[in-house]
Amino acid sequence: MSEVTPSAAGHYAASLPGGVHHSLVRTRRRISSDSVMAGLSQFAAISIFAMLFALLAVLTYAAWPSITTFGWKFLVTGQWRPNELTAPALDAAGHVITEDGEVVMKTMPPVFGALPVIYGTAVSSLLALVFAVPLSFGAALFLVRLSRPWLAVPVSFLVEFLAAIPSIAYGMWGLFVLAPFLQHYVEPAIRTGLSWIPGMNAWLFTETAMRAGQTVVRTLPLTGRDMFCGGLVLAIMILPIITAISRDVLRSVPRAQVEGTLALGATWWQSAWEMLCYSRSALFGAVMLGLARAAGETMAITMVIGNSNQIHASLFSPAQTMSSLLANEFAEASTEIHRAALSEVALILLVMSLLFNIVARRLVVGNDARPATAH
Amino acid sequence: MVGTKLSCRTAVLVMIGCSLSTTGASAKTRLQGAGATFPAPYYKRLVAVYQVRHPEHMIDYQSIGSGGGIRAITDKTVHFAASDAPMNKKELETTGGKENIVEIPSCAGGIVPVYNLPGVSTPLKFTGELLAEIYLGKVTQWNEPIIAKLNPDVKLPDTPITPVWRTDASGTTYVFTNYLSTQSEDFRSNVGLGKQVQWPVGQGGKGNENVTAVVQQTVGGIGYVEQSYADNNQLTYGLVQNKHGNFVEASPDTVSLAGAGAAGSMRGQVLAADIWNQPGDQSYPISSFTYLIVYRDLNNLPDKEAAESLVNFLWWATHDGQRYATELDYAPLAPEVQAAVEQALKGITFKGEALSIGKE
Repeated sequence: MSEVTPSAAGHYAASLPGGVHHSLVRTRRRISSDSVMAGLSQFAAISIFAMLFALLAVLTYAAWPSITTFGWKFLVTGQWRPNELTAPALDAAGHVITEDGEVVMKTMPPVFGALPVIYGTAVSSLLALVFAVPLSFGAALFLVRLSRPWLAVPVSFLVEFLAAIPSIAYGMWGLFVLAPFLQHYVEPAIRTGLSWIPGMNAWLFTETAMRAGQTVVRTLPLTGRDMFCGGLVLAIMILPIITAISRDVLRSVPRAQVEGTLALGATWWQSAWEMLCYSRSALFGAVMLGLARAAGETMAITMVIGNSNQIHASLFSPAQTMSSLLANEFAEASTEIHRAALSEVALILLVMSLLFNIVARRLVVGNDARPATAH
Repeated sequence: MVGTKLSCRTAVLVMIGCSLSTTGASAKTRLQGAGATFPAPYYKRLVAVYQVRHPEHMIDYQSIGSGGGIRAITDKTVHFAASDAPMNKKELETTGGKENIVEIPSCAGGIVPVYNLPGVSTPLKFTGELLAEIYLGKVTQWNEPIIAKLNPDVKLPDTPITPVWRTDASGTTYVFTNYLSTQSEDFRSNVGLGKQVQWPVGQGGKGNENVTAVVQQTVGGIGYVEQSYADNNQLTYGLVQNKHGNFVEASPDTVSLAGAGAAGSMRGQVLAADIWNQPGDQSYPISSFTYLIVYRDLNNLPDKEAAESLVNFLWWATHDGQRYATELDYAPLAPEVQAAVEQALKGITFKGEALSIGKE
């Protein structure tokens, strides 16, 4: 995590006394290599900002038809219908209107609302954190406080190796291995295990459905490809980043601090707890980075979440996230308003990830800047 | 010094570039096509075979999806496009109107209901109405009376139905929803028709392969894919009742029959015809053509020779090339349809000049 920010690099190059090199090394060249380097790195730094603003501008431009058509309702409604619908017109009382014995038909234009995908992104990411955070903090504590070097090195390597596995590989594993496993073993076990809590099964494992013309409440058919599976796969994918950052953060807790707790008679657990408390804001930053990654993850989640653009109460129902919606629909979206709606979803996702990252950076960097951590 | 060196190098590069481009232009005509993925294996075979017989032509087909194909021909970035759904009114308008376009069917395909019910070995019988009710979420259990009545000899399990659909806009969904809309008023006014619709129940999969994967993993799952795709992947699929009340299995023959039924309505240059729910004793009801699209005047091609080779390729593809359709499990064009295609191809020109076609 020791990356030099581009602007800092620019300052560094610019603040070098370029004139000294100029006079000592090459007296005949007009332009010194230092000032060229400074210019280039400044350009690099500025171009990154330019790219970000260009991205925001282009997405806003592409999303404009949707923004003007749907307004703020885009954020709070749940219909996602790319096709026109021709249906009998209804009057205020809900009756079909007829004129001269013929049913009056009305054509409803396509309508888009992003609430189900915003909900899907939020819930699947939070679910991922619920699984990943305890594991990551545990692994980081183990690496920093418990393991011998001969074990710490391969474990660190393996954790970081998880981050290098392509997203599609997680997706295929999720679809062909994890989802059937959840469907046949884990989810039925959860259903049995939670059945003693009143209301739990009614919330998680039932749905209303039509049967022979009647509305009935029935047991939810488990498919394994649902919000729960999506959250699990995301958890595995964000484990490496949270573990790696929290390991570095915990390592930077001053030794004196840790020894102090032990000297005061703290048990190992109390001491470890103090370590976590000491670096809580940086750890929170690590979690936020994991959250940003989970929210933006695309290929794997598309394969395991079931891709249903509706809000279902149960975690064991199919869902959809913003990024999986884009992966599913963008390539073949043919009408202007459909593309605009998808662009608006992309814009929301970009702004959200930006906010996550800004908050996370402030927390992590803020912690590193403490003088006590320089040991 | 530096300046001289540079210019020398540029000169050499320019010379090399010139010689390359002259050899490229004189030897071959390069024809670019793009579009639908469903008939892509068939088109790729056609191109490969045609190339062996006519090495002077370079034909390139990229399967980028029907929507992409129509966009590409509208922007004139390709010479011919392929689409499962015919161009709609608006798309035709953006290319300058119906009279500017020639749209011909190249083969036909059937869409089959695939399902995963272990222990049920007899192919299940479906009606259009039943399929609509399943996809509306009104029939949710495999042993409901409406299914049992159609399949009295089959012992149906007490398994919930999980309908599976395509999440991406596709010609398959277009045909399937169009067919269901003819079968159920309820479906038409609540889900409607289109390349992509809002399904009230079930799960989505991107592309045929994900729909297949989901159905194969879900006991009680039902999905819709093209018959050739279902056959190639050994999926179980059911029979569907046609207009005459017969339960028909999808095959190149029964789908071809559906195409023949529509030939009477095919006139002019834009041979779009809906062939779902066609009359005919043995015609398969969920059938559709897939189309090849070119401009009526091929002035977007470099010269007359190239225009002629494109038209002759289309002619060959809709005549002798049809046997590769059967070989790959697509339904060939019925003779009545071929006659209409011939008329359309004969109308193609290059900057107003007629082209000689039909030569092999």
